[in-house]
Amino acid sequence: MIGLPFAGNALVHAGMVGLGIGAALLFYAYEKRRRALTDPRLWPIAGFAVAFGAIGSRVLTWDISRQVSLADWWGNGDRSILAGLVGAWFGVHLGKRLTGYKESTGDLLSPAVALAMVIGRVGCLLTELPGTPTGMAWGIVLTPAQAALTGAPAGVPLHPSFAYEIVFHLAAFALMWRFRDRLPHSGDLFICFVGAYAVFRFFVEFVRGNEVLWLGMSRPQLFLLAVLPLLAWRVRRVFSSPLRREMEGTAA
Amino acid sequence: MNDVPEVPPAGEPQPGEPKIGSVGAGVLVGGFALYALYISATLPLGGPTMWSSSYLRGALAFVPLAYYLLMAILLAVRRRTSGLGAGLLIGFGIFILLGGGLCVGALVQAGI
Repeated sequence: MIGLPFAGNALVHAGMVGLGIGAALLFYAYEKRRRALTDPRLWPIAGFAVAFGAIGSRVLTWDISRQVSLADWWGNGDRSILAGLVGAWFGVHLGKRLTGYKESTGDLLSPAVALAMVIGRVGCLLTELPGTPTGMAWGIVLTPAQAALTGAPAGVPLHPSFAYEIVFHLAAFALMWRFRDRLPHSGDLFICFVGAYAVFRFFVEFVRGNEVLWLGMSRPQLFLLAVLPLLAWRVRRVFSSPLRREMEGTAA
Repeated sequence: MNDVPEVPPAGEPQPGEPKIGSVGAGVLVGGFALYALYISATLPLGGPTMWSSSYLRGALAFVPLAYYLLMAILLAVRRRTSGLGAGLLIGFGIFILLGGGLCVGALVQAGI
Protein backbone atom coordinates (compact mmCIF):
# COMPACT_ATOMS: atom_id res chain seq x y z
CA MET A 1 0.00 0.00 0.00
CA ILE A 2 1.14 3.52 -0.80
CA GLY A 3 0.93 6.19 1.89
CA LEU A 4 0.82 9.97 1.93
CA PRO A 5 4.28 10.93 3.21
CA PHE A 6 3.81 14.66 3.85
CA ALA A 7 0.07 15.06 4.50
CA GLY A 8 -0.79 18.70 5.07
CA ASN A 9 2.87 19.82 4.93
CA ALA A 10 2.68 23.36 3.56
CA LEU A 11 6.46 23.64 3.28
CA VAL A 12 6.74 20.62 0.95
CA HIS A 13 3.79 21.81 -1.14
CA ALA A 14 5.12 25.35 -1.49
CA GLY A 15 8.62 24.06 -2.21
CA MET A 16 7.40 21.95 -5.13
CA VAL A 17 5.27 24.79 -6.48
CA GLY A 18 8.33 27.04 -6.27
CA LEU A 19 10.45 24.49 -8.13
CA GLY A 20 7.74 24.24 -10.76
CA ILE A 21 7.66 28.00 -11.31
CA GLY A 22 11.46 28.08 -11.48
CA ALA A 23 11.58 25.27 -14.05
CA ALA A 24 8.87 26.95 -16.10
CA LEU A 25 10.76 30.26 -16.18
CA LEU A 26 13.99 28.50 -17.18
CA PHE A 27 12.18 26.67 -19.96
CA TYR A 28 10.56 29.94 -21.07
CA ALA A 29 14.02 31.54 -21.32
CA TYR A 30 15.33 28.52 -23.25
CA GLU A 31 12.41 28.44 -25.67
CA LYS A 32 12.54 32.21 -26.19
CA ARG A 33 16.19 31.88 -27.14
CA ARG A 34 15.61 28.85 -29.37
CA ARG A 35 12.97 30.76 -31.30
CA ALA A 36 15.33 33.77 -31.47
CA LEU A 37 12.68 35.96 -29.83
CA THR A 38 14.48 38.98 -28.47
CA ASP A 39 11.60 41.38 -27.96
CA PRO A 40 12.14 43.16 -24.61
CA ARG A 41 8.42 42.93 -23.81
CA LEU A 42 8.42 39.14 -23.50
CA TRP A 43 9.82 39.04 -19.95
CA PRO A 44 7.30 41.57 -18.65
CA ILE A 45 4.53 39.49 -20.26
CA ALA A 46 5.82 36.42 -18.39
CA GLY A 47 5.82 38.53 -15.24
CA PHE A 48 2.21 39.54 -15.80
CA ALA A 49 1.31 35.86 -16.30
CA VAL A 50 2.91 34.79 -13.00
CA ALA A 51 1.60 37.74 -10.97
CA PHE A 52 -1.99 37.62 -12.20
CA GLY A 53 -2.00 33.82 -12.19
CA ALA A 54 -1.20 34.00 -8.49
CA ILE A 55 -3.88 36.61 -7.85
CA GLY A 56 -6.42 34.63 -9.88
CA SER A 57 -5.69 31.39 -8.04
CA ARG A 58 -6.78 33.05 -4.80
CA VAL A 59 -9.40 35.62 -5.80
CA LEU A 60 -11.34 33.77 -8.52
CA THR A 61 -12.27 30.94 -6.16
CA TRP A 62 -13.90 33.38 -3.72
CA ASP A 63 -17.26 31.91 -2.75
CA ILE A 64 -19.56 34.76 -1.72
CA SER A 65 -22.25 32.29 -0.60
CA ARG A 66 -20.00 31.22 2.30
CA GLN A 67 -20.17 34.79 3.65
CA VAL A 68 -16.42 35.07 4.02
CA SER A 69 -14.71 38.40 3.43
CA LEU A 70 -12.29 38.62 0.51
CA ALA A 71 -9.46 39.30 2.97
CA ASP A 72 -10.22 36.10 4.90
CA TRP A 73 -10.56 34.19 1.67
CA TRP A 74 -7.22 35.59 0.48
CA GLY A 75 -5.53 34.36 3.63
CA ASN A 76 -7.30 31.09 4.30
CA GLY A 77 -9.56 30.24 1.34
CA ASP A 78 -9.28 27.67 -1.43
CA ARG A 79 -6.75 28.00 -4.22
CA SER A 80 -7.24 26.56 -7.66
CA ILE A 81 -4.95 25.90 -10.59
CA LEU A 82 -7.85 26.47 -13.00
CA ALA A 83 -8.49 29.89 -11.48
CA GLY A 84 -4.75 30.52 -11.68
CA LEU A 85 -4.72 29.69 -15.39
CA VAL A 86 -7.62 32.09 -15.99
CA GLY A 87 -5.75 34.78 -14.04
CA ALA A 88 -2.55 34.13 -16.00
CA TRP A 89 -4.47 34.34 -19.28
CA PHE A 90 -5.91 37.69 -18.18
CA GLY A 91 -2.43 38.82 -17.07
CA VAL A 92 -0.87 37.97 -20.43
CA HIS A 93 -3.56 39.95 -22.24
CA LEU A 94 -3.17 42.89 -19.86
CA GLY A 95 0.62 42.75 -20.30
CA LYS A 96 0.32 42.64 -24.07
CA ARG A 97 -2.14 45.53 -24.06
CA LEU A 98 0.04 47.68 -21.80
CA THR A 99 3.27 46.93 -23.67
CA GLY A 100 1.71 47.02 -27.15
CA TYR A 101 2.90 43.49 -28.00
CA LYS A 102 0.70 42.04 -30.75
CA GLU A 103 2.11 38.55 -31.48
CA SER A 104 0.76 35.36 -29.94
CA THR A 105 2.68 34.19 -26.86
CA GLY A 106 0.67 31.05 -26.07
CA ASP A 107 3.03 28.67 -27.88
CA LEU A 108 5.93 30.02 -25.87
CA LEU A 109 4.10 29.75 -22.56
CA SER A 110 2.16 26.49 -22.79
CA PRO A 111 5.06 23.96 -22.56
CA ALA A 112 6.40 25.97 -19.63
CA VAL A 113 2.98 25.78 -17.94
CA ALA A 114 2.85 21.99 -18.47
CA LEU A 115 6.32 21.64 -16.94
CA ALA A 116 5.32 23.77 -13.94
CA MET A 117 2.24 21.59 -13.46
CA VAL A 118 4.26 18.36 -13.56
CA ILE A 119 6.46 19.54 -10.70
CA GLY A 120 3.83 21.52 -8.80
CA ARG A 121 1.42 18.59 -8.79
CA VAL A 122 4.08 16.43 -7.13
CA GLY A 123 3.67 18.80 -4.19
CA CYS A 124 -0.10 18.18 -4.25
CA LEU A 125 0.42 14.41 -4.56
CA LEU A 126 2.65 14.34 -1.48
CA THR A 127 0.51 16.55 0.74
CA GLU A 128 -3.19 16.73 -0.25
CA LEU A 129 -6.33 14.60 -0.27
CA PRO A 130 -5.50 12.17 -3.10
CA GLY A 131 -8.96 11.34 -4.43
CA THR A 132 -12.04 9.14 -4.07
CA PRO A 133 -11.90 5.46 -2.96
CA THR A 134 -10.65 2.95 -5.51
CA GLY A 135 -10.17 -0.82 -5.73
CA MET A 136 -7.00 -0.41 -7.78
CA ALA A 137 -3.66 -1.61 -6.40
CA TRP A 138 -2.08 1.82 -6.76
CA GLY A 139 -4.48 3.50 -4.33
CA ILE A 140 -3.08 5.74 -1.58
CA VAL A 141 -4.02 4.69 1.97
CA LEU A 142 -4.21 7.29 4.72
CA THR A 143 -3.56 6.81 8.41
CA PRO A 144 -6.36 7.95 10.78
CA ALA A 145 -4.44 11.16 11.55
CA GLN A 146 -3.91 11.93 7.86
CA ALA A 147 -7.54 11.10 7.10
CA ALA A 148 -8.69 13.54 9.77
CA LEU A 149 -6.44 16.21 8.31
CA THR A 150 -7.63 15.79 4.72
CA GLY A 151 -11.25 14.84 5.36
CA ALA A 152 -10.95 11.42 3.69
CA PRO A 153 -11.70 7.88 4.96
CA ALA A 154 -8.78 6.13 6.70
CA GLY A 155 -7.48 2.70 5.68
CA VAL A 156 -9.17 2.78 2.27
CA PRO A 157 -7.20 2.97 -1.01
CA LEU A 158 -7.82 6.34 -2.69
CA HIS A 159 -7.27 7.35 -6.32
CA PRO A 160 -3.91 9.14 -6.72
CA SER A 161 -5.64 11.76 -8.88
CA PHE A 162 -2.62 14.09 -8.82
CA ALA A 163 -0.47 11.28 -10.22
CA TYR A 164 -2.91 10.98 -13.13
CA GLU A 165 -2.53 14.70 -13.68
CA ILE A 166 1.27 14.46 -13.57
CA VAL A 167 1.17 11.76 -16.24
CA PHE A 168 -1.16 13.93 -18.35
CA HIS A 169 1.12 16.97 -18.15
CA LEU A 170 4.22 14.88 -18.85
CA ALA A 171 2.55 13.51 -21.98
CA ALA A 172 1.34 17.00 -22.95
CA PHE A 173 4.85 18.41 -22.49
CA ALA A 174 6.35 15.62 -24.64
CA LEU A 175 3.75 16.15 -27.38
CA MET A 176 4.22 19.91 -27.34
CA TRP A 177 7.97 19.39 -27.55
CA ARG A 178 7.42 17.14 -30.59
CA PHE A 179 4.90 19.31 -32.43
CA ARG A 180 5.86 22.79 -31.21
CA ASP A 181 6.99 23.91 -34.68
CA ARG A 182 4.47 22.02 -36.77
CA LEU A 183 1.02 23.41 -36.00
CA PRO A 184 -0.47 25.62 -38.70
CA HIS A 185 -0.82 28.91 -36.83
CA SER A 186 0.89 30.71 -34.00
CA GLY A 187 -1.09 30.11 -30.81
CA ASP A 188 -2.41 26.70 -31.88
CA LEU A 189 -0.21 24.84 -29.41
CA PHE A 190 -1.75 26.80 -26.55
CA ILE A 191 -5.30 26.13 -27.77
CA CYS A 192 -4.61 22.38 -28.04
CA PHE A 193 -2.99 22.23 -24.60
CA VAL A 194 -5.75 24.16 -22.84
CA GLY A 195 -8.46 22.20 -24.70
CA ALA A 196 -6.90 18.84 -23.83
CA TYR A 197 -6.36 19.82 -20.21
CA ALA A 198 -9.96 21.02 -19.90
CA VAL A 199 -11.30 17.67 -21.12
CA PHE A 200 -8.86 15.69 -18.97
CA ARG A 201 -9.57 17.77 -15.88
CA PHE A 202 -13.32 17.44 -16.36
CA PHE A 203 -13.04 13.67 -16.19
CA VAL A 204 -10.36 13.42 -13.49
CA GLU A 205 -12.59 15.54 -11.25
CA PHE A 206 -14.84 12.48 -10.88
CA VAL A 207 -12.05 10.80 -8.86
CA ARG A 208 -10.55 13.95 -7.30
CA GLY A 209 -12.79 14.09 -4.26
CA ASN A 210 -13.66 17.78 -4.52
CA GLU A 211 -16.95 19.00 -3.08
CA VAL A 212 -19.89 18.08 -5.30
CA LEU A 213 -21.90 21.21 -5.98
CA TRP A 214 -24.67 20.45 -8.48
CA LEU A 215 -25.78 17.53 -10.69
CA GLY A 216 -23.03 15.35 -9.28
CA MET A 217 -20.36 17.77 -10.46
CA SER A 218 -17.76 19.82 -8.65
CA ARG A 219 -17.12 23.55 -9.07
CA PRO A 220 -14.24 23.01 -11.57
CA GLN A 221 -16.45 20.71 -13.66
CA LEU A 222 -19.24 23.27 -13.84
CA PHE A 223 -16.73 25.93 -14.90
CA LEU A 224 -15.24 23.58 -17.52
CA LEU A 225 -18.68 22.65 -18.79
CA ALA A 226 -19.23 26.32 -19.61
CA VAL A 227 -15.91 26.85 -21.43
CA LEU A 228 -15.56 23.47 -23.18
CA PRO A 229 -17.77 24.37 -26.19
CA LEU A 230 -15.65 27.44 -26.90
CA LEU A 231 -12.45 25.42 -26.58
CA ALA A 232 -13.85 22.65 -28.83
CA TRP A 233 -14.61 25.23 -31.50
CA ARG A 234 -11.07 26.67 -31.29
CA VAL A 235 -9.44 23.19 -31.39
CA ARG A 236 -11.54 22.21 -34.40
CA ARG A 237 -10.24 25.28 -36.21
CA VAL A 238 -6.64 24.18 -35.50
CA PHE A 239 -7.13 20.76 -37.04
CA SER A 240 -9.00 22.05 -40.07
CA SER A 241 -5.58 23.15 -41.43
CA PRO A 242 -2.83 20.66 -42.40
CA LEU A 243 0.23 20.32 -40.14
CA ARG A 244 3.39 22.08 -41.23
CA ARG A 245 6.06 19.61 -42.31
CA GLU A 246 9.01 21.43 -40.78
CA MET A 247 9.57 24.74 -39.14
CA GLU A 248 11.47 27.05 -41.46
CA GLY A 249 14.44 28.59 -39.71
CA THR A 250 13.80 29.79 -36.20
CA ALA A 251 11.17 32.47 -36.81
CA ALA A 252 8.21 32.33 -34.46
CA MET B 1 31.65 47.76 -47.00
CA ASN B 2 29.67 45.14 -45.18
CA ASP B 3 25.93 45.08 -46.03
CA VAL B 4 25.09 42.30 -43.58
CA PRO B 5 23.57 43.68 -40.37
CA GLU B 6 25.69 43.02 -37.34
CA VAL B 7 24.14 40.25 -35.25
CA PRO B 8 25.16 39.89 -31.61
CA PRO B 9 26.66 36.50 -30.74
CA ALA B 10 24.19 33.81 -29.69
CA GLY B 11 23.32 34.07 -26.03
CA GLU B 12 24.05 37.78 -25.87
CA PRO B 13 21.02 40.00 -25.18
CA GLN B 14 19.83 41.89 -28.24
CA PRO B 15 19.70 45.69 -28.01
CA GLY B 16 16.74 46.64 -25.84
CA GLU B 17 16.26 43.12 -24.48
CA PRO B 18 16.35 43.05 -20.68
CA LYS B 19 19.31 41.20 -19.23
CA ILE B 20 18.39 38.02 -17.41
CA GLY B 21 20.29 39.39 -14.41
CA SER B 22 17.90 42.32 -14.06
CA VAL B 23 14.93 39.95 -14.13
CA GLY B 24 16.58 37.75 -11.49
CA ALA B 25 17.44 40.77 -9.37
CA GLY B 26 13.82 41.88 -9.53
CA VAL B 27 12.62 38.44 -8.40
CA LEU B 28 15.01 38.38 -5.45
CA VAL B 29 14.50 42.00 -4.38
CA GLY B 30 10.74 41.79 -4.78
CA GLY B 31 10.37 38.45 -3.03
CA PHE B 32 12.59 39.41 -0.09
CA ALA B 33 10.99 42.84 0.22
CA LEU B 34 7.51 41.36 0.47
CA TYR B 35 8.60 38.68 2.95
CA ALA B 36 10.46 41.25 5.04
CA LEU B 37 7.51 43.61 5.01
CA TYR B 38 4.89 41.06 6.00
CA ILE B 39 7.02 39.31 8.59
CA SER B 40 8.10 42.56 10.22
CA ALA B 41 4.52 43.84 10.15
CA THR B 42 3.30 40.75 12.01
CA LEU B 43 6.15 40.46 14.53
CA PRO B 44 4.37 42.67 17.08
CA LEU B 45 1.54 40.11 16.98
CA GLY B 46 3.92 37.21 17.64
CA GLY B 47 4.96 36.41 14.08
CA PRO B 48 3.13 35.29 10.97
CA THR B 49 1.75 32.18 12.65
CA MET B 50 -0.18 34.46 15.03
CA TRP B 51 -1.57 36.49 12.14
CA SER B 52 -5.24 36.32 13.06
CA SER B 53 -8.01 36.54 10.52
CA SER B 54 -9.23 39.72 12.17
CA TYR B 55 -5.92 41.35 11.36
CA LEU B 56 -6.17 40.17 7.76
CA ARG B 57 -9.70 41.41 7.48
CA GLY B 58 -8.57 45.01 7.30
CA ALA B 59 -8.01 46.38 3.84
CA LEU B 60 -4.79 47.82 5.22
CA ALA B 61 -3.03 44.48 4.67
CA PHE B 62 -3.60 44.80 0.93
CA VAL B 63 -2.28 48.36 0.55
CA PRO B 64 1.43 47.40 0.34
CA LEU B 65 0.63 44.63 -2.14
CA ALA B 66 -1.42 46.94 -4.35
CA TYR B 67 1.26 49.63 -4.20
CA TYR B 68 4.00 47.10 -5.01
CA LEU B 69 1.98 45.67 -7.92
CA LEU B 70 1.36 49.13 -9.37
CA MET B 71 5.06 50.03 -9.15
CA ALA B 72 6.07 46.69 -10.72
CA ILE B 73 3.63 47.21 -13.61
CA LEU B 74 4.88 50.75 -14.22
CA LEU B 75 8.50 49.52 -14.29
CA ALA B 76 7.61 46.52 -16.50
CA VAL B 77 5.95 48.58 -19.22
CA ARG B 78 8.86 51.06 -19.46
CA ARG B 79 11.40 49.68 -21.90
CA ARG B 80 14.47 50.73 -19.86
CA THR B 81 13.22 49.14 -16.66
CA SER B 82 11.26 46.23 -18.16
CA GLY B 83 13.64 43.56 -16.82
CA LEU B 84 13.45 44.79 -13.25
CA GLY B 85 9.69 45.26 -13.54
CA ALA B 86 9.26 41.75 -14.94
CA GLY B 87 11.32 40.36 -12.06
CA LEU B 88 9.26 42.28 -9.51
CA LEU B 89 6.06 40.90 -11.04
CA ILE B 90 7.44 37.34 -10.91
CA GLY B 91 8.57 37.93 -7.32
CA PHE B 92 5.07 39.14 -6.48
CA GLY B 93 3.53 36.01 -7.99
CA ILE B 94 5.93 33.75 -6.13
CA PHE B 95 5.21 35.53 -2.85
CA ILE B 96 1.45 35.21 -3.36
CA LEU B 97 1.64 31.56 -4.41
CA LEU B 98 4.21 30.37 -1.89
CA GLY B 99 4.30 33.08 0.75
CA GLY B 100 2.05 31.53 3.34
CA GLY B 101 3.19 27.97 2.74
CA LEU B 102 6.93 28.54 2.82
CA CYS B 103 6.92 31.11 5.57
CA VAL B 104 4.40 29.59 7.95
CA GLY B 105 5.57 26.05 7.22
CA ALA B 106 9.18 26.90 8.00
CA LEU B 107 8.31 28.81 11.16
CA VAL B 108 6.00 26.08 12.43
CA GLN B 109 8.65 23.42 11.82
CA ALA B 110 11.18 25.60 13.61
CA GLY B 111 8.75 25.89 16.51
CA ILE B 112 8.49 29.67 16.29
